[in-house]
Amino acid sequence: MRYLLLGILAASAGATAAMAVQQAPQVVEISVERFSFTPSEFRVKAGAPVEIRLRSDDTDHGFRIVGTDINVAIPKRGKGVATVTFVPPQAGKYVFECSKLCGAGHGFMRGSLIAE
Amino acid sequence: MTKAVVSLALISLWLVVLVPANADAQASQPTPPVAAPERTTAVSGYMDFHFNKREFEDGRLDFHRFVLLITHRFSDRIRFVSELEVEHALVEGLEEAGELELEQAYVDFLLSRRVNVRAGMLLVPVGIINERHEPPTYYGVERPFVDTVIVPTTWFDVGAGVFGEFGKGWRYRAYVMSPLNAREFTAEDGLREGIQKGSDTNIGRPAVTGRLEYVGVRGLTVAASFWTGRSGFEFRPRFDVPVSLGEADIRYSRDRLELRGQFARVAISNAGLLNDAMGRAVGVDPNVASGLRGFYGEAGYRVISGASYGDVGVFARYENFDTQFKMPSGYLPLTQLDRDALVLGATYWPDPDIALKFDYSGIRSRNSTIREPNSFNIGLGWWF
Repeated sequence: MRYLLLGILAASAGATAAMAVQQAPQVVEISVERFSFTPSEFRVKAGAPVEIRLRSDDTDHGFRIVGTDINVAIPKRGKGVATVTFVPPQAGKYVFECSKLCGAGHGFMRGSLIAE
Repeated sequence: MTKAVVSLALISLWLVVLVPANADAQASQPTPPVAAPERTTAVSGYMDFHFNKREFEDGRLDFHRFVLLITHRFSDRIRFVSELEVEHALVEGLEEAGELELEQAYVDFLLSRRVNVRAGMLLVPVGIINERHEPPTYYGVERPFVDTVIVPTTWFDVGAGVFGEFGKGWRYRAYVMSPLNAREFTAEDGLREGIQKGSDTNIGRPAVTGRLEYVGVRGLTVAASFWTGRSGFEFRPRFDVPVSLGEADIRYSRDRLELRGQFARVAISNAGLLNDAMGRAVGVDPNVASGLRGFYGEAGYRVISGASYGDVGVFARYENFDTQFKMPSGYLPLTQLDRDALVLGATYWPDPDIALKFDYSGIRSRNSTIREPNSFNIGLGWWF
């Protein structure tokens, strides 16, 4: 009986750990400055959450994924990190861009999230 | 060259026409939920307020730049960007006072990551400063000398072209633009006065410019750019003044450290003919060189970073700039225009978008008789 109980506990712990591993989002850290995102292209799994962490090295910027409702403010240098979680519903290319006018070269601030 | 322009225009038109086709092709694949199209207009800007004290002269206070940027998004694929600048606070007709300049006013047609089309008033994509010149982004009250007399920032004109990104962090732009007017070239300021500034420009033989840069590593930008055009269109009888500029630059910033370097070289063909023609026209030979060259290296370090009252950085920059680097046959260089500068200073950022700057600029030339004045400068610049 004791062995049966231990076996059930071990199986439960294993299942819980597996679920945690399954649900842990992929994390992508992006450095932001006038006028680029680094990296400006990255790959994620379609249908799985990706946690995007954005840190500015200068002024405040914005992060908008075109065609979705994702649009967050990125605080100025030293003022923190913007974190956004996105679940690409399907495979494909999702364009992102700076959504806060940040200078003469603001228009160059674009990138791609590729969901596979 | 005219064929090249026509070809570029046709390619641009084809690309614009292609957008809906591509969009349709993409639409046939699974796509994310589409939000309502945004129609947004944004206004931002920057200001630059200076105190300059040149050796042997009284100090000067100057509201150097008042710049407004206005952008508008027509759709996710079409947007408008503009930059309007008042220099030296005052604009007077026929006076050597300030300037009101439309430095940018273009429409982007966003087609794909690799290829997009841009047309209107454009910044020439040459050098570190010309496209990235908000005061908090660079050390020093005034822009580097190399970015003033070798690369004539802010260098803008009308044109059209393509831009995009490929691979892991490679970006490019390639534009066809109005050429420089060689009749305005000078010995001291090189190409600077030759910019047509989009005002009823001569486009008989358009110039071509481009830039390739790598931004794939955090904090690093490595780039090379060029500009080439024919600039003798104002002379009768007409003769060619081919002008070419080649440039390379690097910028690296990580945490508290920032390093920069830039090299630029200008070649002016038929400079002898140009000097003869201008000498006949105005009675004074301008002694325009056939070659200009400049380079600089700069190191900056934030000695205070992340404090509640802001950041403090110190910097040193060495520059060499010579607008008489190579002379046409029969001409001697004005050696006072072969100059070195050592600029030392500090910047205090109470906010990342506000920069209070101090620097001391020591200049030496190859001429032992004519001494270049050193200067002490204070600047307050901000972005909003």
